[in-house]
Amino acid sequence: MSQDKAATTTPKTTGHNWDGIEEYTNPLPTWWIWGFYITFIFTVVYWLLYPAWPIGDKFTKGIPGLHTITYTAKTADGKEVEKTTHWNMRAKFMHEMNEHQADQKQWFDKVAATSFEDVSADAELMQFVNSAGKTLFSDNCAPCHQAGGQGKIGMAPNLTDDHWQFGGTYDEIHETIAEGRNGVMPPFQDTLEDDQITQLAHYVLSLSGEPHNPALAATGKTLFTGAGICFTCHGPDAKGNTAMGSANLTDKIWLWADIVGTTGQEAKVAEVKRIIAGGVNRGVMPTWEGRLKPEQIKLLTVYVHDTLGGGR
Amino acid sequence: MATASIATAGVGTSEQYNYDIIRKFAIMTFIWGAIGMFVGVYIASELAYPFLNFDNPYITFGRLRPVHTSGVIFGFGGSALFATSYYVVQRTCQARLFGGEGLANFTFWGWQAAVALSALGYMFGYTQAREYAEMTWPVDLLILFVWVAYLAIYVGTLLKRKQPHIYVANWFYLAFILATALLHIFNNLQVPVKLFSLESYSLFSGTQDAMTQWWYGHNAVGFFLTAAFLGMMYYFVPKQAGRPVYSYRLSILHFWAIIFLYMWAGAHHLHWTALPDWTGTLAATFSIMLLLPSWGGMINGIMTLSGAWDKLRTDPVIRFLIVALSFYGMSTFEGPMMSLKDVNALSHYTDWTIGHVHSGALGWVAMITFGSMYHLVPRVWNTQMYSVRLINVHFWLATIGVLLYITAMWISGIMQGLMWRAFDDFGNLQYSFVESVAAAHPFYVMRAVGGAFFLAGMILMCYNMYKTIRQGSTEAHAGLNVAAA
Repeated sequence: MSQDKAATTTPKTTGHNWDGIEEYTNPLPTWWIWGFYITFIFTVVYWLLYPAWPIGDKFTKGIPGLHTITYTAKTADGKEVEKTTHWNMRAKFMHEMNEHQADQKQWFDKVAATSFEDVSADAELMQFVNSAGKTLFSDNCAPCHQAGGQGKIGMAPNLTDDHWQFGGTYDEIHETIAEGRNGVMPPFQDTLEDDQITQLAHYVLSLSGEPHNPALAATGKTLFTGAGICFTCHGPDAKGNTAMGSANLTDKIWLWADIVGTTGQEAKVAEVKRIIAGGVNRGVMPTWEGRLKPEQIKLLTVYVHDTLGGGR
Repeated sequence: MATASIATAGVGTSEQYNYDIIRKFAIMTFIWGAIGMFVGVYIASELAYPFLNFDNPYITFGRLRPVHTSGVIFGFGGSALFATSYYVVQRTCQARLFGGEGLANFTFWGWQAAVALSALGYMFGYTQAREYAEMTWPVDLLILFVWVAYLAIYVGTLLKRKQPHIYVANWFYLAFILATALLHIFNNLQVPVKLFSLESYSLFSGTQDAMTQWWYGHNAVGFFLTAAFLGMMYYFVPKQAGRPVYSYRLSILHFWAIIFLYMWAGAHHLHWTALPDWTGTLAATFSIMLLLPSWGGMINGIMTLSGAWDKLRTDPVIRFLIVALSFYGMSTFEGPMMSLKDVNALSHYTDWTIGHVHSGALGWVAMITFGSMYHLVPRVWNTQMYSVRLINVHFWLATIGVLLYITAMWISGIMQGLMWRAFDDFGNLQYSFVESVAAAHPFYVMRAVGGAFFLAGMILMCYNMYKTIRQGSTEAHAGLNVAAA
């Protein structure tokens, strides 16, 4: 240690020695002291710009007029008034929302004033529909209908195919979003025998060309259009009814029974039987009226119909 | 070169000091480190690949996350603090631990039981849902008893010191013990739902409850993860470097500045919430004023090495300690910046916060612990480290791990913040939330890889320590004494 060149300029120690550790009496680094002063000055400036110290049940609001925010708000009777206040979170939020809502307004106004068909035909307006629709859909609809609207078996229908359970016209889609839907099928485990449910399952599978037992399917057909009362909702031709949301059983689209993800006749039959026996009680589409603005619902209707839906 | 340290290394023996309790806590430091970090890597992987939840409620992210944080903070960090504080207080006071073996052993078994019980509780769904204070009330009570015993041991030992003054490391350890007691008691004021129920209601409600929680949360970082580890730093850096502490005056000033300023800063965790604006402003400014006092510790540590910089090349233990101080300096700069309202508007609720926490937790807390433990273990087992080369490998694994981790979280966090606030020309939000989730995926993978590097280093340390401890025990049985070799 003594050969160390630092040793010749070594500062004094305090004279303490703890388990061999000593301490130098070096002064505080100048830049460190100045750094501390600067943070203190910064602090005082910050106190003058923002609400800072509590005084009783009030608080300091910074130097008046130095750091203000102007925003527009609606009063209780619907009048728009401009307010200027000291900096605060709520005002900052309102101010920023004002800006973006002003940008959006002309477009939303146009959507509100235009018929579905004319919105669809207006290329520029459709750019807005796609821009706003993407985030509206992703943040509100995607949790059930999935990110691209592809749906999920056992949860929510696919919105990108040509099948529309409650109808695929603009008006029908609008009604679905605004008012919600309730797709319900009663359970048949108490009213039908197990072999009857099996026969029905074979018939339902036969309708969409899935593997089945033709003899059982034939008995199933009689049940379907007769004592089983299936036809009252699904129709005698089993093509469903969009007015009540009963499924078309003759296509290859499945929402509740996972026929696509099941292999083998036995497993597919079991899957359909599960639905007939237990029914469907989760087919609830919530109502969005009140949660979204009317022009947002209208825009989503066009987005779902044109951008996701394809043909109908 | 090491004449001074050899002379003093011979002084401390298991006859003079209670080394048995230090050995116990040191071993648990390694065990909890490996468990806690493994769980961390696992939940990081769950975020990147959700199938790893395996539809098993006990191992879902929500339940394992507090197992990870409690495991590393209280299991790994807590055990390391008990081990090093008992070591430092005895050696710098030249006094055996106050209260005898029994009281010290009570702190050991009580603390281990508390950490183990809370971890198991979380997996079974028992939590009071307060971040870093998830323990249910019976565990809170157990911790309270352990802590009172710890305080008694510490103050008792200080009182019977054979040195005229109290060494700076002990100020920091004592501040940590006192502040943690205060935080623990006030944040856990609650009424059990029934006598035999693990559920309880907080005494506070709404914003006041959130404020109490973050007063606790921030000062847990300030006093548990900063002040206490500065105490560790103040002993092990000068000891390992064989150099005097750079400035006595700086140590006094930055100690009192940290103690005074930290308590005010917690509310910066609640910017842009229902917390009143003025409360957030005060918290932000006290955080800014904390910057230089925090750096005081870094300066004092790094400048202690001045005149012995060559040791950075030759001594991996010094390297751990100095890199820890560098990360400490970096995260104590980042923290005050993130506490400013406008920066926080970008960083809040993003992965940036996670990155910031880990640059402190991995870079500072874990690194300073590794360095200190590589110094302490051979001394309390009276032997040499089994392999210095493995320490070196551990150093690089840990450093690469931290860098991967925090870089991933910086990119992902700032990206999330920017995506969430992006508007297009129509005034519409440019991205949906789920798009920001998809964009973060590659960085979640990168974070898990970084964590895996860090964990690999930790496991290597366990192996190295196992060999060292076995070698120490064998030597002790053979009657060899190679401490001064």
